[in-house]
Amino acid sequence: MQLERIDEFRCLLPRSSLKGMRIDGLVYAGEKLAQQIGNDRTLEQVANVATLPGLLGHSLAMPDAHQGYGFCIGGVAASDPERGIVSAGGVGFDINCGVRLLASAVPAAEIATSIPAILDGLFAAVPCGTGTKGPLRLDGGGIDAVMEGGAEWAVGAGYGEEGDLPRIEESGKIDSADPGMVSDRARERGRSQLGTLGSGNHFLEIQVVSEVYDEATASAFGLAKGSTAFLIHSGSRGLGHQVCTDYLDSMQQGMARHAITVADRQLACVPVRSAEGRAYLGAMGAAANFAFANRQMITHLVRRVFKKTLGADDAPDIVYDVCHNIAKFEQHETGGVRREVLVHRKGATRAFPPGHPALPPAVRGAGQPVLIPGSMGTCSYVLVGTDRAMAETFGSSCHGAGRAMSRTRARKEITPEKLLSEMSRRGIHVRGQTRSGLTEEQPDAYKDVNAVVETVHGAGIARKVAKLLPLAVMKG
Amino acid sequence: MNGVYRILEHPADLGIEAEGETLAEAFASAARGLMSVVVDPESVTVREERKVSVPGADPEQLLVRWLGEILFLYDGAGFVPAEFSVEQVGGGGLEATVGGEPAGGAELRLKIDVKAVTYHDISVRETSRGWYVRVYLDV
Repeated sequence: MQLERIDEFRCLLPRSSLKGMRIDGLVYAGEKLAQQIGNDRTLEQVANVATLPGLLGHSLAMPDAHQGYGFCIGGVAASDPERGIVSAGGVGFDINCGVRLLASAVPAAEIATSIPAILDGLFAAVPCGTGTKGPLRLDGGGIDAVMEGGAEWAVGAGYGEEGDLPRIEESGKIDSADPGMVSDRARERGRSQLGTLGSGNHFLEIQVVSEVYDEATASAFGLAKGSTAFLIHSGSRGLGHQVCTDYLDSMQQGMARHAITVADRQLACVPVRSAEGRAYLGAMGAAANFAFANRQMITHLVRRVFKKTLGADDAPDIVYDVCHNIAKFEQHETGGVRREVLVHRKGATRAFPPGHPALPPAVRGAGQPVLIPGSMGTCSYVLVGTDRAMAETFGSSCHGAGRAMSRTRARKEITPEKLLSEMSRRGIHVRGQTRSGLTEEQPDAYKDVNAVVETVHGAGIARKVAKLLPLAVMKG
Repeated sequence: MNGVYRILEHPADLGIEAEGETLAEAFASAARGLMSVVVDPESVTVREERKVSVPGADPEQLLVRWLGEILFLYDGAGFVPAEFSVEQVGGGGLEATVGGEPAGGAELRLKIDVKAVTYHDISVRETSRGWYVRVYLDV
């Protein structure tokens, strides 16, 4: 499939690329990233998404896009709620997988000698890896309260403060969540997993703000050069994975009733306003709330370790918390008309501009923080949403570095000893649950996060605010 | 012959391909492949058996639901499956017996979570040697 270059940062995937495409694809990538994106089946997946009924604008791929299942990772697709579809695969298995950034006013340089102790404390306090259990077991209806209340439930249960909530996308609670649409199986998978990090690409990092590009915005976000930060990457755990599994299955059956055919079974979808569509969105909201509560509980554990290790009174504050895998009804302008659309973000971040009414007062003036984690041992970025993102990408931007190498190859290319010695040379402390888990996530397995961020910055769909360097990494 | 499995590469995740003289054997091998991603099979002691029964309209749906059932036993029911005997597959359903041990055993060498079983590039086909199945996992 051939991309047509529009400018330095954008390429068109014309609808003539594949029979059945109803809209064009738009890929945000310079020459090198476009080449990397062309190395796997990402473009085929962008084209397949463009064949789905009732999509608006473009089938979008961010610069960190890579091959996923059905939809690519790093994809955005917006649907007309009246004649379009909702797809469980368009959100993905890890519903509301996302990142949360915490920042402390304490300069990292002042606590340099305590970083290993904080990391050890985090590794002991935050369960990670497969088969681990969180601090609670949610028996009976307890889990439904979490799915209804999200981060608000967690704060009410003592895991955080009221002031945390406005610093979370949707204030940490999707109001349309309907736990009644969640299967007992999903509940069983989630019962013991609240407050756990998971494995794979999930992580917890201690970072230092190394550069500030926009002082005023950074200050509004609570970030100053040299300050200590914590980045949490986790999602809805087994509960969300099961919700997606259940609805992929039921949507496949629903497609026949609604006379929808798709190029790949993983693209299974149903009309937004159908009974199946509404049921999925209710269940997805419930799983998303579970993820918000999960990151809230991990935040609580991080604060506890921070205070205990340093004997400090002040715990780190939340900069922001963003969803990477979600479908949401939002107001956007398409074809000159302002309307409600259902935006699927699969490995993409909402990037609302300054003044957007959906933003809480704390960040409304500055714009929404867009959190971009890099790979282990490289760097992460904080960006801010823009008007251009609203105009071009349904208010969306990239979500990370994006994988460039398979797990098998990543494992073969470096030994755990060499990786740990390389991290140590860079002054980064590492704790991992498994040695193979670490090597699968080695930095070279990912694209260059700097190139990804320069692309969204250059294209104007998010703007750089600050850069963060890792001091310590904990992997599941 | 005993069914065999192999781990397949994917840009972000991984897949399993498995073969067997019969479809049942290929399905059992695929389940062994799935659990080999989660836990070192050598570290699991078979102490209990569970009966598994899943309906499915076509072979691909049966494969995804069967492996989804195994994943649920591990991630939702606190049981670590390691031995798989598929007694019947096809005709709208699958019947199997799964052997393993309760989760939490000190000897278990756990690896990584498998989030889900996908339909991406799924394949179930008869070959000159028997049956071949391929499935990709989200990890």
